[in-house]
Amino acid sequence: MNDEEIAGYFEDKLKDDDLSSAIAAIETLLECLQRDAAETLSGLIHNLKQAKEVLVTTDCLATTSVSSGSDLFLRFITLASLELDDFKEVKEILISRGKLFLQKVSTCRTKITHLGMPFIKDGCVILTHSYSRVVACVLKCAAESKKRFSVYVTESCPDKSGNFMAQLLQEYDIPVTVILDAASGYILDKVDVVLIGAEGVVENGGIINKIGSYQLALCANALNKPVYVLAESFKFVRFFPLNQQDLPNQFKYKASTLKKGANLSIEHPSVDYTPPSLISLLITDLGVLTPSAVSDELIKLYL
Amino acid sequence: MHWSRDELGDITIRRCFYVSEFAQEREQQDARFKKMDQFILDLKQEKFNGSYDLAYKVINHLRKLISQTRWAHAKELMGVIRKEGKQLVAAQPSEYVIGNMVRRVLKIVREEYVRLLGKSEEFANTESLHKMLTSAETEDEKYMKSLKELKTTVMEAVSEYIDEMDASIHNIAAQAIEHIHSNEVILTIGKSRTVEAFLKQAAKKRKFHVIVVEGAPLYHGHELAASLAAHNIETTIITDSAVFAMMSRVNKVIIGTHSVLANGGLKAVSGAHIVAQAAYQHAVPLIVLGAMFKLCLLHYSDIGGSEATFNRLASPHRVLDYYKAGSQDLCNVQVYCPTFDYVPPELVTLFISNIGGNAPSYMYRLLSEMYHPNDHEL
Repeated sequence: MNDEEIAGYFEDKLKDDDLSSAIAAIETLLECLQRDAAETLSGLIHNLKQAKEVLVTTDCLATTSVSSGSDLFLRFITLASLELDDFKEVKEILISRGKLFLQKVSTCRTKITHLGMPFIKDGCVILTHSYSRVVACVLKCAAESKKRFSVYVTESCPDKSGNFMAQLLQEYDIPVTVILDAASGYILDKVDVVLIGAEGVVENGGIINKIGSYQLALCANALNKPVYVLAESFKFVRFFPLNQQDLPNQFKYKASTLKKGANLSIEHPSVDYTPPSLISLLITDLGVLTPSAVSDELIKLYL
Repeated sequence: MHWSRDELGDITIRRCFYVSEFAQEREQQDARFKKMDQFILDLKQEKFNGSYDLAYKVINHLRKLISQTRWAHAKELMGVIRKEGKQLVAAQPSEYVIGNMVRRVLKIVREEYVRLLGKSEEFANTESLHKMLTSAETEDEKYMKSLKELKTTVMEAVSEYIDEMDASIHNIAAQAIEHIHSNEVILTIGKSRTVEAFLKQAAKKRKFHVIVVEGAPLYHGHELAASLAAHNIETTIITDSAVFAMMSRVNKVIIGTHSVLANGGLKAVSGAHIVAQAAYQHAVPLIVLGAMFKLCLLHYSDIGGSEATFNRLASPHRVLDYYKAGSQDLCNVQVYCPTFDYVPPELVTLFISNIGGNAPSYMYRLLSEMYHPNDHEL
């Protein structure tokens, strides 16, 4: 598969709104694996790494999760290297394992919904930021189980994805109000719990999410409101930022912006980093974790 | 068909024999059910003396259950334990120790099964990214193999755990000498058997001063103060409202707890949050003593879907006695007497248990070692 085919396949998968960008990337890599013409394992790995580069430089909603999801898939390939002579057999096994991995990863959202449900209590007021599929899923389940709650969504400039989230929640019959990003401090008094998604979860338990999350978490902490992050485990990334400047440019800006060579000092970043001290709990498919448990999980995988 | 007289007589005797055997088994089963029903009734009526006593009774009950019921393989055993566990928890939902013991026994069963099969410990362990990538076996295939030695090993492991529980207060008290130094002022609230043993152990080698907050309206602090004074420890009793005023003179706050929640927060005696907040304000370290069986999988928010089971309301008579409360002026006043308090993990400095001292942020690790995440829901 050459670069254009990969990008094309990926963009095709992204058109399905319900699919997380990372899962679309993993499906693309699986397709690459199936169509690959390499004769050796290292050739295969080399081709997949190149495919990953193409994916990371394609425009999508969440570059961070694409990067972490692809890394996990490639890691899975290298862990599964078997000592068989026939390369075709090895490839068959890799493909079946890839399909199994994809299957497991697709069930993440249901597990998170199950774990996150008890945190939404009857009569509570929830504040969420921008558009997150996981948060929408959890809220949908809570509404279906007849819990009464109301939601405030920040508009989340510059792409105003908060409006899209509000539209989605209205379809589920949830009373929702869109507020300005600047009004989050004003509204926090009335709010019981802050629920946000994440594009990436970093090594110390902090998160990378749509710009404005850091601000929201700071205000919530100042007013003693709990902040719960809902994230799938394939978003865990081996990365340890110490401040906002440590985030790499490919996470902050769209791939097309970087390619154009625009002046980054006047471009607006699309994500920011929220340190773990501001997060109460991370609800993932591996369980409800405190931020300190995240590094433990990453160590278990990579060492 | 025609039966001869002899054959008829034979058949009747055989029938009587079968009936009596059947009746015997029925009687035995009935007696067992009666015992279990009695236990559940005891739970509902709160006939236990503190969390250690309850934990001990529950685990003995489960041990009897494992030895007396018939089961073919580990999965069936876990089903039996789970079913009984659900009944026990439903009988007394505010006591998390019951759920803890049931889950601990389930984890023991899983561990013993895996050990007997010869696989590594990690296999039975919790979910992880690593496991997601390397294992290919699905959950349903596990635990179905029938192993002869499973019953004995499980019973042994449960007995070992009971011994560990027995020694827990002693192990905690043994660490007292490292934490309490000469001429220190220690503050505590209410009456906790663990704290009492801890302070008495330290008093054998050190001289220090204890301030006991009385803990209205039950005034358990008075009993603790009397007990400590009898051991020649300098004790002072203060009212709950004097906590903030006295905190500047205190070196350490040592409290016991009813249970420890999954995020490191506490469900402690009413008044503990005030003490914790005052300690935080004065930068005084807060040390919490509690045995490992008090550690729960539950978070503060997910307690059965409602706050009703978190707190137990005691009789309001102690706050405002019935005679006064019934008078014309006070008949519209509502009086509450909650027994428990939630203390958030940020206010706790150290958590000392029978396995040593840990930070509240380390709770997740201890939890993953004690319980299996699939048992989170019984």
